[in-house]
Amino acid sequence: MLEVLDLTKRFKKNFAVNGVNLFLEQGEIVGLLGPNGAGKSTTISMIATLIEPNSGDIRLYNESIIKHPEKIRAILGVVPQEIALYQDLTAEENLEFFGRIYRLKGRDLKKRMDEVLEIIGLADKRKEKVKKFSGGMKRRLNIGVALLHNPQLVIMDEPTVGIDPQSRTYILDTVKRLNQEKGITVLYTSHYMEEVEYLCQRIYIMDKGHIIASGTKEELKNILSQENTITIKLDQVRKQFVELLKADPVFRQVMVYDSSIQVMVPKEVNVFTRVLSMAEQSGVELAAIEVKTPTLEDVFLHLTGRALRD
Amino acid sequence: MRAILKAKWQLFLRTPWTFITMTILILIFAYLIGGLGIDVKHEIPVFTNIKDVEKTETWSRITESEVFEFQLTTETEAKQALEDHRVEAIVFLDHDDFKVYVATETPNANLLYQLLQSAYTDLFLNESIIEAAEEHGQVVDIVSLQEDLAKQKENPLFSIQSEYFYSDKTVKVDMNLQSLFGFTLFFVIYTIAYNVLFILQEKQSGIWNRMILSPLKKWQMYMGNLLYSFAVGYIQVVAVFALFRYVIGIDFYGGFAKTLLILIPYVFCIVALSLCVVSISKNEQHFNVLIPLISVSFGMLGGAYWPLEIVTSDIMLFLSKLIPITYGMEALKLATLYQMPVQDLLPSMAVLVFMGVVLMGIGINVMEKRSG
Repeated sequence: MLEVLDLTKRFKKNFAVNGVNLFLEQGEIVGLLGPNGAGKSTTISMIATLIEPNSGDIRLYNESIIKHPEKIRAILGVVPQEIALYQDLTAEENLEFFGRIYRLKGRDLKKRMDEVLEIIGLADKRKEKVKKFSGGMKRRLNIGVALLHNPQLVIMDEPTVGIDPQSRTYILDTVKRLNQEKGITVLYTSHYMEEVEYLCQRIYIMDKGHIIASGTKEELKNILSQENTITIKLDQVRKQFVELLKADPVFRQVMVYDSSIQVMVPKEVNVFTRVLSMAEQSGVELAAIEVKTPTLEDVFLHLTGRALRD
Repeated sequence: MRAILKAKWQLFLRTPWTFITMTILILIFAYLIGGLGIDVKHEIPVFTNIKDVEKTETWSRITESEVFEFQLTTETEAKQALEDHRVEAIVFLDHDDFKVYVATETPNANLLYQLLQSAYTDLFLNESIIEAAEEHGQVVDIVSLQEDLAKQKENPLFSIQSEYFYSDKTVKVDMNLQSLFGFTLFFVIYTIAYNVLFILQEKQSGIWNRMILSPLKKWQMYMGNLLYSFAVGYIQVVAVFALFRYVIGIDFYGGFAKTLLILIPYVFCIVALSLCVVSISKNEQHFNVLIPLISVSFGMLGGAYWPLEIVTSDIMLFLSKLIPITYGMEALKLATLYQMPVQDLLPSMAVLVFMGVVLMGIGINVMEKRSG
């Protein structure tokens, strides 16, 4: 359906996006994962034809949209990271405004507004002003506006930022339902690993303007097939213990948290004896040692040496 | 575009506070500083050697004045009031003459002199006619003679029509209109600018991008926003002028309709200026700093706070030529105080349109470049 070829965007001398390639098949949910500043928003802004790339191409059904943005705009719904709504208007008035600018009128507009309010679960709040909504309700209406004109492709830019877990679950379920029931193709950007793992069939991992890995969840996790993620829980993290871990070449990507340390270790290594010995040497009391199946977070850590939310 | 106008109207009804605040400020400033509603009669102390002066014809004539309020006092007190600058002038009334003492020459002093001159001349004329009739041995019925004279004045033998003409150096100042025009043109900048600011707010909130992705054309997006700002600004200035004209009773010298015409290019120019300021503003805070700076300096240079006629600095006068308020004030004064026809207002209005077109062009271009 959509192909992004060697896309590059420069702001003065800085490359925000550098040679990005990706594709979307009709009816799939694709995740674009990366930390803040990775270039996700710039990439989707270019796909949405809001900013022009310096080089590269974006093709919709094999036709370039850079010169003809109207081709993608007709089938595209965008959920921006910001709450792009009039705060002093009601939910209904907002939907009416955005429906009208998409040339919806009369009964069609009314019917579509009712459907959308039902989808986002705000039918009973339609007469309330947006500024009185909770963060989660605003986010849901933000999504609703993008669905008004029945788009085939929806781009969502971190649509769950700053909301409570309950609203997040509601939004994720709504996105999944839209994809399954209406066949809407979704490009979903986030820096929440668990959201992307839950929603997306395929994932692109972005960092510093580049796509550093891509594939299905399983394919990405296989990158770590040779390594385990070990979490060492301690009563107190001591500098000497951390230094011993770092000095041992077997332990990679040592991440220190408040009362735990996470490391990556080759699967064949007997981690327990090594850690116990180091703990004894540095006088640290171990609370637990956990061996985890790798997550996408671990994949990101493995690829970049940094945690996603650093 | 109708969708934009409808949404803006709904938003206006929900948050009309900027509009209301600015309207109240215009009313307060124009009302108080222009001295409107306050008794504008100038107090003139009078001293005299005429016995029972209040019963004389001269006294009844001069106290009919709507401009001056004559108050009998002693010579010492009157002169002391003049020395203390508590009054502009004092008057000494004699049987067949008068004296006007002034501290400085002002338009009011001339007016006072003319009033007294006219009262005495009429009086002497009547007396001279009566004396002439008596000299010819006629028995004069003074009351009927005066009635005859009044009738004759209604149908005079010669009719003299007098007209004012103004040279370039003729200056007329009406403080009521000066403050009404000045503060209206000044405060409406805020009303308009804070409506044009919607564009920046919509850009920051992502609403603008949503509109770009819709089938709306860019010109429709700008037109919808700017038309709304124009309408709000124009409604405000028309409402203020109408209130002062019809409720407070300010004299527009027959030029009220012409002032409404002049306001069209002025409001257009301010909409364009606001767009220009919005286009160079990095964010709302930046805009909030720029707008007072620009509007206050424009108000000062353009003659909103004081008549430009009293400014003598060549630099200030040169800078005033670059300010829209200057041309707005100029056209409004020509239409009212100087009662000029519409064609004489066109040069000022044309400058406003020209400035508006240029500023609009710059504003849209800068805005589009920055978002690109």
